[in-house]
Amino acid sequence: MIKVPQLSNTSYLIRQLPAPTAFIDTNYNIVQTSDKWTSIFNKNNECYNSNSLFAVFPNLSHKWKMVLENCFNGSPQPMGIHKAIDCDGQELWFEWTNAPWYDVNENIVGAIIQLSNVTDAVNNELELNKKELLLQQQAEITKIGRWEYNIIDNQLIWCSTTKAIHEVPLNFNPNIDNALFYYKEGHSRNAISMALFEAQNKGKAWSNLKLQIITAKGKEKWVMAGGKPIYNKGEMVGLIGTFQDIHEQVEADIKTIDNEKLLRTLIDNLPVNVYIKDTESRKVLINKAECEYLGANDPKEILGKSDFELYPYEAAEKSRKEDLKVMNTLIPVIGKEIKKTTLNGNVTSFLSSKIPLLNNNGIAYGIVGISLDISKLKEKEKELRNIINIASVQNKKLLNFAHIVSHNLRSHSANFSMLLNFLEIEKDENEKTKIVEMMKKASNSLLETLDNLNEVVSINTNTNIEIKEVSLNDKLTDANQNLSSFLSNNNAIIENNIPVNFKVRSVPAYLDSILTNFITNAVKYKHPDRQAVVKLSAENDGEYSVLTITDNGLGIDLEKYGEKLFGMYKTFHEHKDSRGIGLYLTKNQIDAMNGKIEVKSEVGKGTEFKIFFNEKN
Amino acid sequence: MKKISDITIIDDDAITVFGLRKLISSSVECNAIESYANGKIAINAMTDFFNNKQHIPEIIFLDINMPIMDGWEFLEAFIKLPIKEKIRINIVTSSIDPLDYKQWEYYKNKSHHLITFNQKPIDRNKITEITQVA
Repeated sequence: MIKVPQLSNTSYLIRQLPAPTAFIDTNYNIVQTSDKWTSIFNKNNECYNSNSLFAVFPNLSHKWKMVLENCFNGSPQPMGIHKAIDCDGQELWFEWTNAPWYDVNENIVGAIIQLSNVTDAVNNELELNKKELLLQQQAEITKIGRWEYNIIDNQLIWCSTTKAIHEVPLNFNPNIDNALFYYKEGHSRNAISMALFEAQNKGKAWSNLKLQIITAKGKEKWVMAGGKPIYNKGEMVGLIGTFQDIHEQVEADIKTIDNEKLLRTLIDNLPVNVYIKDTESRKVLINKAECEYLGANDPKEILGKSDFELYPYEAAEKSRKEDLKVMNTLIPVIGKEIKKTTLNGNVTSFLSSKIPLLNNNGIAYGIVGISLDISKLKEKEKELRNIINIASVQNKKLLNFAHIVSHNLRSHSANFSMLLNFLEIEKDENEKTKIVEMMKKASNSLLETLDNLNEVVSINTNTNIEIKEVSLNDKLTDANQNLSSFLSNNNAIIENNIPVNFKVRSVPAYLDSILTNFITNAVKYKHPDRQAVVKLSAENDGEYSVLTITDNGLGIDLEKYGEKLFGMYKTFHEHKDSRGIGLYLTKNQIDAMNGKIEVKSEVGKGTEFKIFFNEKN
Repeated sequence: MKKISDITIIDDDAITVFGLRKLISSSVECNAIESYANGKIAINAMTDFFNNKQHIPEIIFLDINMPIMDGWEFLEAFIKLPIKEKIRINIVTSSIDPLDYKQWEYYKNKSHHLITFNQKPIDRNKITEITQVA
């Protein structure tokens, strides 16, 4: 006989049950549910009565059929925790319990299923598992291990990562003593012992302690240890903490620091200026040499500044343009010769290189500049060039002089040889006397030539000529006195416009000779139609003291004779005293004092000589 | 001995002029030996001869280093005179400056006159040689 549950007015009572409850018959059909059940699973609160349990919960395992069958036989079994979807589509976790449903005759007519919502608990547990997993993974990735110390039962627990860092097997049982023992003797062990003591006695936490341990396998390692007390009801019950393997970082850091130091030592001691600029051409790194060059005591005074703050505007703009070109084209500038002027006016010659600094994407983020100070080299080069110039001028002069000497000596010796030949064959006594007269003349003129040459040689070979400050007016007075009879015989006037106390730097004897020569020439070549007037004036143009001697004489055709004016034995006027040696000697003397001569002349009007005395001697 | 009508010496050195005169007069028969102390006086005289259609000396002894106008300047001016005759110009110098030698080559090629370059001292043989070639 099939027992059918008797539904009576008890159904009203069932509906009011506080837990979600369902009554099913032995065919698994839902006969009655509590309102709570209905509200969870039935939309619009409609009743599922007479629906099959398995139709309502299609996901329920069929093994439940067996469980429920057992229940129908009077021996209910636990059904466990299962997921179900409520009418809003939400996932809920329930713990399912069942009990046989008896009718009034103690016959089992079905089963009572009761659910208890354990969603929160399950979620919490899942969350916990997840966290546990995360922590585990985090520990493995970051090499941060954990430890826990229980003060009450003096128990220390290490997580697997902590054990791995110590290189101990997973079944190793740490305690507070051997844990401390792993720390390296000395600073590390002292520091951790102190931290532990302070934590236990004063409740102080510690963190970021960089210490060294020696692992079970004898390896030295850098670790970062942290820990803090935990309390239960206000009482310290233990300590928890982290334990991180930072060996690679520390080693890398140490290496980085070493590398930086090496680099710094290197660039600071290089005999070149080194700097790094960012994309805005601001200096972000400079070495000692660059710092000193820019006149700063501390690189901080320079860092962050652009060329516009360190150099005159025009130079800065030029340099900035070059920086941009290097960063845009990525083509470095190598060994370019430049002249730099700092704001305080120091001029330095550099061999300058600018190399683009590239990031990982091949884009320039600045430039490295290397400048080699070649001012001294340039100076030497200039000096050398000067010396070469002087040498070549001297060589030319020497060659010219050699030709002059050879010419003059040869012409005299030729005369001698010719006259001697005559004398040899001459019979006429009168003629003989004449020839001997000629030979005397030739001999005198040879002596004179030798004197002249000797004078030229002494001017050019006397390297340590003594240049002094000489009063120009004093020397002019001397010259006037020496020439007084010559001047009065020629009825010449000397007009002195030289400032009082005007001084020139000259060899005193040379100045005598210069004044005498120019005044003599001016008077000697005076214009026949007028009185000779020689005007002298002087001024200083900074580098030179300039003596100007102007005459109103015959003048010289400079276009014709300009090149030969200061040549030896060159004369340009028919005059019985012309020897062609005065101007040549004067020119040599002025050259020997690093001076120069300028000349202006107009035929028939007069000549103006400017003699430049070098004031930098 | 070939007869030469006129010989001119241009030199500022009195001894050389004396010697040349002595050598020429003893080895060549000629009408007149003129001498000038520098190029300027000489070229003025030559220009006058030319303008007055007078005889230009057949042989000229020319010094290089002279005041006011030197031998080269004289030559420069002389070859500009449109003289049809071939004048024998003998440069007589004691210079060994290669530059002077170059100057001689320049004028030699530039002019139809016969220009020779002679180192001092000049002896009798040289004079004979010079005067005979003409």
